Amino acid sequence: MKKSQMGFRWVMAAAVLVLIAGGMAPVQADDLAAFDGMQGTVRISGGTAHIPVMKETAKRIMQRYAGIQITVAGGGSGVGIKQVGEGLVDVGNSGRKPTDEEIAKYDLKLFKWAVDGVGVVVNPKNPVHSLSTAQVKAVFAGTIGNWKELGGPDKAINLYTRDEASGTRAVFWKKAIGKGPISAKANVVVSNGAMKSAVASDPYGIGYVSVGHIDKSVTPVTLDGVTPTLETVKSGVYPVARGLFSNTKGEPTGLTKVFVDFLFSPTGQAIAAEKGFVAVK
Amino acid sequence: MFRDQLVKVLFGGAAAFSVAVTLLIFGFMIVLGAPLIKDGAFLALFTDSWLPGQGQVGIAPMIVGTLVIAGLALAFSFPVSLGCAALISGLGRGPLPALLNRLVRFMTGIPTVVYGFAGIFLLVPIIREWASRGSGLCVLSAALLLSVLIAPTMILFFVDAFAAVPRSYLVAAKALGATAVQRFVHIMIPGAWRGLTSGVVLASGRAVGDTLIALMIAGNAAVLPESLMDPARTLTAHIALVVAADFDSLEFRTLFACGIVLYLCTTAMVILTRRIGSASEKRQWPAP
Amino acid sequence: MAGTLTEKSVVLWAWLSGAVLTIAVGGLVGYVVVKGAGSLSLHLVFGDTAPLDAMLLRRQVFDGIFPAMLGTLALVGLSITIAVPIGVAAGIYMAEFATSRIKAVFGLFFDILAGIPSILVGLFGFSVAVFLHHRVSDRIMPCLLISALSLAFLVLPYLIRTTQVALESLPRQVRITAPALGATRLQTLFWVLLPQSLSGIVSGVILSIGRCAEDTAVIMLTGVVATAGVPTSVLANYEALPFFIYTISAQYADQAELMRGYGAAIVLLAICALLFILATLIRHRLADHLLYGVR
Repeated sequence: MKKSQMGFRWVMAAAVLVLIAGGMAPVQADDLAAFDGMQGTVRISGGTAHIPVMKETAKRIMQRYAGIQITVAGGGSGVGIKQVGEGLVDVGNSGRKPTDEEIAKYDLKLFKWAVDGVGVVVNPKNPVHSLSTAQVKAVFAGTIGNWKELGGPDKAINLYTRDEASGTRAVFWKKAIGKGPISAKANVVVSNGAMKSAVASDPYGIGYVSVGHIDKSVTPVTLDGVTPTLETVKSGVYPVARGLFSNTKGEPTGLTKVFVDFLFSPTGQAIAAEKGFVAVK
Repeated sequence: MFRDQLVKVLFGGAAAFSVAVTLLIFGFMIVLGAPLIKDGAFLALFTDSWLPGQGQVGIAPMIVGTLVIAGLALAFSFPVSLGCAALISGLGRGPLPALLNRLVRFMTGIPTVVYGFAGIFLLVPIIREWASRGSGLCVLSAALLLSVLIAPTMILFFVDAFAAVPRSYLVAAKALGATAVQRFVHIMIPGAWRGLTSGVVLASGRAVGDTLIALMIAGNAAVLPESLMDPARTLTAHIALVVAADFDSLEFRTLFACGIVLYLCTTAMVILTRRIGSASEKRQWPAP
Repeated sequence: MAGTLTEKSVVLWAWLSGAVLTIAVGGLVGYVVVKGAGSLSLHLVFGDTAPLDAMLLRRQVFDGIFPAMLGTLALVGLSITIAVPIGVAAGIYMAEFATSRIKAVFGLFFDILAGIPSILVGLFGFSVAVFLHHRVSDRIMPCLLISALSLAFLVLPYLIRTTQVALESLPRQVRITAPALGATRLQTLFWVLLPQSLSGIVSGVILSIGRCAEDTAVIMLTGVVATAGVPTSVLANYEALPFFIYTISAQYADQAELMRGYGAAIVLLAICALLFILATLIRHRLADHLLYGVR
């Protein structure tokens, strides 16, 4: 081959590579580009487990598009479902699947964009790290009242539970303690974040929280030998799992639809994974 | 003439509007809570426990919670407030009592949420370690913090009441050889009993009506507290917690029952205060 | 002697009470100030956004308390705008035009309104919002406007009371001079009485501003949220400082957020302290002028 022909081939190869790279580079920004030219407000409320993802998503969108406002409130899954059903918000998040009655009553459309688990947590200073389902049931029912019965220090167990509207509580109640009783003396906290803060600051506390929220400030408790982590939830080994839903009243339109679609986009799913949840895609 | 009438009607309208708002608030509570009576759940409201999962929506634990926490706060706050008022009203000498007066007035401007914030990070761990049981989020912590909150109300009322005792009595007593303490105990306190009682009643109204302290510090367990270290829930915190729930359900409507109880309670206190009458003519309205 | 012993203990108890109260308040407030002093900086307010961009509303602020501060500002501005005309007018009516029977009856109602727990006012606002949402327009929901209205109802009795007291405290000479010179009732009111009682009225307004700025219970139920950015419309959700502090205290994600909470608490404390000092100054300053006839 002549030298110029070789050179030409290299240039062509390089050009093709550049074109391919150029085609791939804007993939991340592309997902946000769906919001181009859009204006308005998206009101979100409901499940507190979703909040970190919602906040991060809102931040990225609002940073790029000045005309879009996204407001995020908590309240729990029950609140999210009711409020979106009543038209008070555009997107109602829930950490449990809405019941058939709720879907029928409010004409809900469900969008499950992540899978999460609910794990029992204790304070990092607590030596008790492993419990059986029977023990967890007894602890939360109030029949086991002292840590020494579980191999820990001789101190009373401080129970923390969620409010009635919480999807996390509903899933925990159904799947972890088999719909057993939760002691009425338990301290009530109103969100996953609040549960985490409470257990992190109480050396003798025990509570339950979304797996995605578990970090170094609390220690997860192994349930029947299975530790609640991203991996065990993903593989299905950890049984107390739930989907993270964003619900709308009827089919979403306009800005809300673009937002919901964004949650399923690669960027959106990456945010979910980054916050400790299992992406569905 | 016409202008006079117009202004009078306009301004009177503003006053009438304000009265209307007062009535409207009560009206809303009654109307929205009415279905409770129809559903026959009315009496159960005041006797049942709060277990909505099992169909019980009684607000009795919350009523007890309110009474216990407010009552304790008053018990803690009254002696301290009386002492401070005594100090400011003449029992203390030197520059410090005047400074205390300034401090108390300043306290009325401190946001409740800041007290709650400090309470969570300073008081709760202390109580938890000191009691060595419970989570620190309990009746005792809430009552202690609440007593600090309502102290300025009581102190300022007491000081005003003491100031309104006719000087002639005090001068006469001094002339007869009474010491400062004797004057205080035998003349000022009896002479100012109206103001003292009003102060206590108003402070208890404040204690009953406070939301944030109980919400942040008392643990919010909807159960009858059996000891000082137990968590409890007040009517006000209950409203804050449950309002986030369903607005058609029976649970939500119990909020209006809570509202009615609170409204009647504070109204009774207001009427009581008016009946007692205030010692001073130009009563300084306590800061909210 | 027994007498002296009892007396000494009474005095001791008085001093002890003073000490207990001072230590309690000093401890609580001091703890917040000391712990949070380190977080006071532009970063606390603006996060990672450039301050100028944030203030010109060119870029949104995240991880900073600027949106909450603006939200509080908007909220207070709106509620005071609603409350002051009604409150001052009603106060004037009570002091100048009302018969003693009306004074007694209305006065009772205003006292009741003043005694209503703030959470009930919030519940009322929320119920009204839901009611209007169902009956009047879909667009009405708990929002800045509803919160401002509810806060206005909250501070109304204080405005009425301070205006009434300010007018009623005017010395007789002031009241009879103008009419003696031929002024009508209205003229006396607007040109003489009101200017003289302005200090009392203004300090009442300032105290109401402080009340609106620090209230949490009412706004919790009527539209404040944890994340909303800078307030955009009165029919939208918004952030506010006291709610920010409350949320952080319950659920802080990391040390950085907790420090922001402390910083926000200091900022709120500073704002309320400033307003309080301002109100006191105005009341004292102009009261002095009044006393000595200087104007």
